Amino acid sequence: MRAFLLKIEPLIWLLFGQGILIGTMLLTGWILVVGLLIPLGMVDASALSYDRAHALATASLFGVVPVGKLVLAALLVLPLWKGAHHVRSLHVDFGGAERDGVVGVILYGIALVGSVVGIGAVVGL
Amino acid sequence: MAEKTIVITRFDPDKDQAPRKQEFKVPCEPDWKVLDAVNFIKDELDGSVSHRWSCRMAVCGSCGMMVNGEPKLTCKTSINDYGDRIDIEPLANFPVVRDLVVELDGFMHKFESVKPWIVRAKEKAADQAALHPSKGTYSQSAEELATFKQFSMCINCMLCYAACPVVANEPEFLGPAAIALGHRYNMDSRDEGNAERNAIFRGEGTVFSCSYANECSEVCPKNVDPAAAVNQAKFEAVIDWAKNLVLPRGGA
Amino acid sequence: MSRPAHPHAMAPHKPGRTRTAPPQMPSTWWSAPRIRNYLLFDATGIVYYLISFLAIGMIQALGRGPEAWNAVMARMQHPAYIAFHVLCFVSVVFVAIRFFSLFPKAQPKAIGPLKPPPGNVIHAALYVVWFAITAGMTALLAGWIF
Repeated sequence: MRAFLLKIEPLIWLLFGQGILIGTMLLTGWILVVGLLIPLGMVDASALSYDRAHALATASLFGVVPVGKLVLAALLVLPLWKGAHHVRSLHVDFGGAERDGVVGVILYGIALVGSVVGIGAVVGL
Repeated sequence: MAEKTIVITRFDPDKDQAPRKQEFKVPCEPDWKVLDAVNFIKDELDGSVSHRWSCRMAVCGSCGMMVNGEPKLTCKTSINDYGDRIDIEPLANFPVVRDLVVELDGFMHKFESVKPWIVRAKEKAADQAALHPSKGTYSQSAEELATFKQFSMCINCMLCYAACPVVANEPEFLGPAAIALGHRYNMDSRDEGNAERNAIFRGEGTVFSCSYANECSEVCPKNVDPAAAVNQAKFEAVIDWAKNLVLPRGGA
Repeated sequence: MSRPAHPHAMAPHKPGRTRTAPPQMPSTWWSAPRIRNYLLFDATGIVYYLISFLAIGMIQALGRGPEAWNAVMARMQHPAYIAFHVLCFVSVVFVAIRFFSLFPKAQPKAIGPLKPPPGNVIHAALYVVWFAITAGMTALLAGWIF
């Protein structure tokens, strides 16, 4: 397991890096509005009514580039890889190096499944 | 002059099952370093205390110990930074040979494994053409030096290994100083060993195990900033990996 | 004394001539503020997993139609979800601040002929981009633009 992880580690690190960088930047506004401002009534719920939310998610630039879906996909998928990598690191911090191969595969596997489901949800809009 | 209680961790493999603590009352002078207190104990109070030290001026890297739980060069650490009770232990994360002396072979092995020397792809007469015509030496600009000079300042004191959570938990991890040194040679314009070192960096001791705790750089007494080296090395290793996918290296 | 490190941490390649005491972690391991910050930083990985799962669930609801979407948006008003999102917000800010300070020095010294800008320029630029993207997304999602 660990040998397999060693082989793909550079790719995982790249995904993790973008998860932290792009994921964090995209998540901040999402959490603020979707998680706090609208539920607390500080912003009117009509801002993200079904029609507007769907329109934003499927918005495209010049009718060609699906910006809405691209941004949404990044927001859904990238944080998973940051999550997986850091939970794996936390596991090692607490003395779990012996099972690191198995735990790593499971955590990245969850991130992969989540990524597929997330991209599927976005594409299907 | 103030009397302080210095607590030394003792361990004699012939007599002790496990390390134990021994307290000493030491009359400390205000200009003392922690090393002076330990030397006082050995000279005046208990000659059986074992510890490593040499230059007294933070260049040999011998006197690293845990002082109140933090890795320090004891020759560089003022006794005034501490109160009445100072707890001195051997460097964390290393097997202990005796008292404050730790086993260094593990580090030496990791150190050697990154090939910390100039590697030239070929040593032939044809290489002579690359030498500076008038001096018969390799030429390197100040700018080229600047890319790695900081990482060459390491004195191998191993405080970074004592501070690193990954070293503590993953025995195969190469560790801050070894990776910083390997990276130093990778960045050296005279060196041509990047491919070999990047293969080691992606091997069992993988640089990617570094979780960027940054503790190594926090404790480094020479401002080497090994965390910067390790994380730059990750980037270089990714480039090497990508190049290999597209243009696989032939042979070993 | 303190927590044991891995029994083979920094182990020599061949056993030495005398018995050694096993490696110990620093005695300040759990109490030192810097270590606590580092462990919290790693622990935010759990939060990132959870917010991703939640957001994926929400987009799936968006795909199912107005009823599903309105239901999931209404659920966000529950105090537990609000508390979770406060935790998420604190987490992303904490991650951003720590990561932005560590990012500049990890950049390669050169990529071919291109050299990165000085560290403090990169550090400032990260904040500018973060604020810009956050402001833009907030304005967009809150209906203040478009």
